[in-house]
Amino acid sequence: MNAVPPGPDPEQEWSFESNLIRPYSLTGGRTRPSRSDFSLTSQVVWIPPGPTTGTDPEVELLLTLCERPLSVAEVASRSGFPLGVLRVLLADLMDQGHVEVHTPTWEHKRPDARTLRRVLERIRRF
Amino acid sequence: MTSTPSAGPIPDTLKIVVAGGFGAGKTTLVSAVSEVESLHTEELMTSPSMGVDDLEGVESKTTTTVALDFGRITLDPSTVVYLFGTPGQRRFSFMWEELAHGALGAVVLADTRRLADSFDAIDFFEPRGVPFVVAVNCFDGQRTHRAEDVRVALDLEDQVPLLLCDARDRESVKEVLVELVTLVLRSALLDP
Repeated sequence: MNAVPPGPDPEQEWSFESNLIRPYSLTGGRTRPSRSDFSLTSQVVWIPPGPTTGTDPEVELLLTLCERPLSVAEVASRSGFPLGVLRVLLADLMDQGHVEVHTPTWEHKRPDARTLRRVLERIRRF
Repeated sequence: MTSTPSAGPIPDTLKIVVAGGFGAGKTTLVSAVSEVESLHTEELMTSPSMGVDDLEGVESKTTTTVALDFGRITLDPSTVVYLFGTPGQRRFSFMWEELAHGALGAVVLADTRRLADSFDAIDFFEPRGVPFVVAVNCFDGQRTHRAEDVRVALDLEDQVPLLLCDARDRESVKEVLVELVTLVLRSALLDP
């Protein structure tokens, strides 16, 4: 086995920003959501009609993205909001009754054999 | 699967974690089977610690951005599989914990030039009981290691499946996923 070559770590999956204020200005400075329903693969869906007046552009964007069920991870990806910021915003929308969230059945228990067989068959075919 | 009157069926989701060292081919593997082009999101953490509850007086604190690449496979209208690549560095362990929580299982992608990089991932999943397979990425077409040599080098237990793969190749990646789901199915049958 070869040793890792010397030199700077090429891993650049992070970067530094000058402060925390900008990304969290959208949440009024809050970094913790009011609830913890939003795991990465939870599906979020808009509840019509949604807020009517004075809607912030970011809220409008989120509600548009969630017209069809969409995972938290994909909402983050498409909106460009960091996950932490997104979770605070989604929790607010849920508190206000504008979205609902569906936690995956398999988040807390392993899928049964029947489901796993179906998944296997589908993976082979897709 | 549940449904809403407005938006139709809400699929159930399964999560598979793809771990491995830098350059092992995690993003390549995810892209090879994802139906959408490289999805990407970010999480912020404060530096040096991440335990911040409010932002009062933190104007001078810095944040680190952790990138997260993932892909999606819609198996049928009621079942969607998400594949998440782990952030390469274990200092982002809070993210690893979140990814591992409720995961169906994991693929540890090993690069034979840097096998040691796989230890981190194996050490993480083993004690947490996350089922995993080891896939040796032979992306350069050179099978410079035999699977058995890799098994010995990684000190893998016999029941951990190990296979060679090409992370760029959809069919090859599908084989890896089949191996993982088969492993989970086997344990579901033995321990229903």
